[in-house]
Amino acid sequence: MNAALDKEAWRYSERAWNALHAQEFVAADAIAELLESLLERFDWPETRAHRIVFVNGETAAAVPGIRLRNGERLHLVFASVPGAQPTRWSLDLPITVDAGSAEIIEQHVGIGGADTLGELASRVRVGAGARLQVTTLSDLPDSVSLYRRENISLDASGEYASTHALFGGRFQRFDLDVAMNGEQASYAARGMFAPRGRQHIDVHLKAVHAARDSRSEVSWRGVADQRGRGILHGAITVAAGADGADAQLQTKNLLLSPHAEIDAQPVLEIYADEVKAAHGATVGQLDERALFYLRSRGVPLAAARNLLIAGFCREAFAEVGDAVLRSRLEDVLAARLPQATEIPE
Amino acid sequence: MLKIDNLHVRVGGKEILKGLTLAVKAGEVHAIMGPNGAGKSTLGNVLAGREGYEVTQGSVVYKGKNLLELEPEQRAAAGVFLAFQYPVEIPGVNNTYFLRAALNAQRKARAEPELDSMQFLKSVREKLRVLHISDDLMNRAVNAGFSGGEKKRNEIFQMALLEPKLAILDETDSGLDIDALRMVADGVNAMRDPQRAFVVITHYQRLLDYIVPDFVHVMVDGRIVESGDKSLALKLEEHGYAWIAERKLAGAA
Repeated sequence: MNAALDKEAWRYSERAWNALHAQEFVAADAIAELLESLLERFDWPETRAHRIVFVNGETAAAVPGIRLRNGERLHLVFASVPGAQPTRWSLDLPITVDAGSAEIIEQHVGIGGADTLGELASRVRVGAGARLQVTTLSDLPDSVSLYRRENISLDASGEYASTHALFGGRFQRFDLDVAMNGEQASYAARGMFAPRGRQHIDVHLKAVHAARDSRSEVSWRGVADQRGRGILHGAITVAAGADGADAQLQTKNLLLSPHAEIDAQPVLEIYADEVKAAHGATVGQLDERALFYLRSRGVPLAAARNLLIAGFCREAFAEVGDAVLRSRLEDVLAARLPQATEIPE
Repeated sequence: MLKIDNLHVRVGGKEILKGLTLAVKAGEVHAIMGPNGAGKSTLGNVLAGREGYEVTQGSVVYKGKNLLELEPEQRAAAGVFLAFQYPVEIPGVNNTYFLRAALNAQRKARAEPELDSMQFLKSVREKLRVLHISDDLMNRAVNAGFSGGEKKRNEIFQMALLEPKLAILDETDSGLDIDALRMVADGVNAMRDPQRAFVVITHYQRLLDYIVPDFVHVMVDGRIVESGDKSLALKLEEHGYAWIAERKLAGAA
């Protein structure tokens, strides 16, 4: 893990991002007709009635602030399609859950050749005692760049539980900033990324425990192949007075090629006294014992490797209870699985 | 079926097997006993094709072919099965999915038709019933969070499903209570067949009360020093391995 040597490594993505921004882009002029192949990736009957589709950042009707009521489920789809010129879009979505329990599925899809640079900022407020469950799936062609910033504020006993899967893209950055402003607020993020080729996926998770007895739990899996680059920056701050906070951050990563790189950077800052905090990061290669076990049962080497890689990633989906959503995630995982092309010595 | 001749194997620069010779015919059950460190598990691992085991001398011929040239998956397809002493936990990989992938890969390698999921599940249910294993085992990740006994049951279940021609059981009995031991023995006995051979590696005579072997071999310091019928196991139980060592000394003198 080279990041241990280069503590500033994660900043490089800022440069890449600034370079992209310097390009000439124009706004999408119309909502293009969606290809069937794109449609079938998000058109699930279960969520059809609660779906908003944005194409290159635009949607049929203006979307005001979103206020979710108890039991509501919202499927947000952001599709990137090729246009006459490169497209840049930027969206700002305020989302509120005042009470009860709601769910958001956020999906990013695209068609190869779509030359888009998207910027999505969500500001999420979870009220006292309310719960928001979020699943995000970003599966992008190599021509698409995406920057997502999610700012979440949790009131007392508010809960935000999330699962995130990131695949592909020219450049992907995902910032998740969670402020636990109320007592006993809780936040969980599970996720995985799988950069390959020359993809660059950069994830910054920031949790601030600003109130007593708040809990955060982050568990992240990364798999990088070829020259793929993954960055996980996980920062936890426990503010003065936020006694009784419980913060856990774990990340496990697999490198499938000697040129692949994953920089996992956990950062803990604690200003309170009575705090439970733990973090751990590992970067390794496939378990040779497990590989031999599978092969000794007749599974050929390449298939055994893929089984292990998929199994490793699938652990990130452990909290996705909905069977349809889960199988969607697993299908994308199977399709986007990094195939080990070079065996690390 | 299996002919091991003067096999020498180094592991991590140290010679573990020092001229092991053993012949196993189809239909036979061979028990290999011996003290800790004799090289019993090394033998199992070498036969299954684990990396890190360097054969410096000798040969292993299985069904007329040089077994040592084959990849682990090719050995499996040719009918070699090792029940692991320490089965590996693989979180995230579903047991059913894994076994279907394994069985179909083997069948494909043997140019047999692959099983669809209905045929496969039928076969799974049949074996589970015979072995009195709950089907809950199939919905879990491979060995993940299994108790020691569950892992060994899973090994025997895999053996029953994959129907190998040569099954090597590496201390499958260690750490098992009497019920689990019976289940393992029943699994083996149900599969005894004139076309199939077993090599049962064990530390204790106890398992051999249930799986009655045709031959018993005693392994000490990397080679077989004594072979006999099942009565040899009983003598060992009575006198301990020291008795063998003494007899060797007497023979040498």
